[in-house]
Amino acid sequence: MTNPTVAEAWVAAPLKRLMEDARLISGVLLYPSGRAVGQFGFSNAADVMSICALTSAINASARELGRQLDGKPFYEMHHAGAERQVFMARASAAAQEFLFVGVFDRESSLGVVEIYFGEFQKALEKLLPEKQAPAVGPSGDFEGELNRSLDALFGPIGKR
Amino acid sequence: MRAVSQVVGSLSRVPGVVAAMVVGAADGLIIEASQIIGLAAGAPDTRKHTAALAAYLYSKIIRASDAARLGTPAFMRLEADKAHICVVGASDVVLVTIVTPDANLGRVRLDMMNAARDNQ
Repeated sequence: MTNPTVAEAWVAAPLKRLMEDARLISGVLLYPSGRAVGQFGFSNAADVMSICALTSAINASARELGRQLDGKPFYEMHHAGAERQVFMARASAAAQEFLFVGVFDRESSLGVVEIYFGEFQKALEKLLPEKQAPAVGPSGDFEGELNRSLDALFGPIGKR
Repeated sequence: MRAVSQVVGSLSRVPGVVAAMVVGAADGLIIEASQIIGLAAGAPDTRKHTAALAAYLYSKIIRASDAARLGTPAFMRLEADKAHICVVGASDVVLVTIVTPDANLGRVRLDMMNAARDNQ
């Protein structure tokens, strides 16, 4: 396992712990706008870019579906594939919301991932810097935001 | 298998059993669980954690047993300072009990094995 690469240093430790404890193969922490905050298990910025865009869109759809079916947004989603499984959930720290998507296989289980994700969320609440950068809502420049966060994770294009 | 609620109900009535659960073997999620006997008001409910980690541990025990060419494990007991955790596999579920140290472990084991056998 490689250590997570992060755009915001304070998430590195909890993300590493989640990765190790839940035995995740890969994962991405992002803002609901699609801006990546940290990742592990990926070596290609394009993969993270796709995951951020898809996760952001899935979250928006699931949130609305939850509202319509249950009166409130769904909290987490799980998809069990033949070999690998995807866990996707919202984490909030103070008023700040994050999305997390992680991939695991038979080396872990949904129950184990849920437990350690709960601990991860508590760690985020505890560690969230008081002076958080305010630009977390959608700015309208989705592509620009995404590219800036990918530059922070993988280095500027051309140097990756 | 008997209805999972029956399995949980009968196991939780065995003397010394603090909690009994039927847990998904693959996902570690609780299918049915009894209340924790003697849980103080306001104390955290640890059943979800116990279930997930016990099922996970049991899956590793299966692999270890297989690697050592011992066959399928029949019964797992984890002894801690304050209680024991007992696990028995039953097809695609595992039975998990939390048991006091002074409990009749033979009786707990027999009842768990019988419940698991009914599921084969």
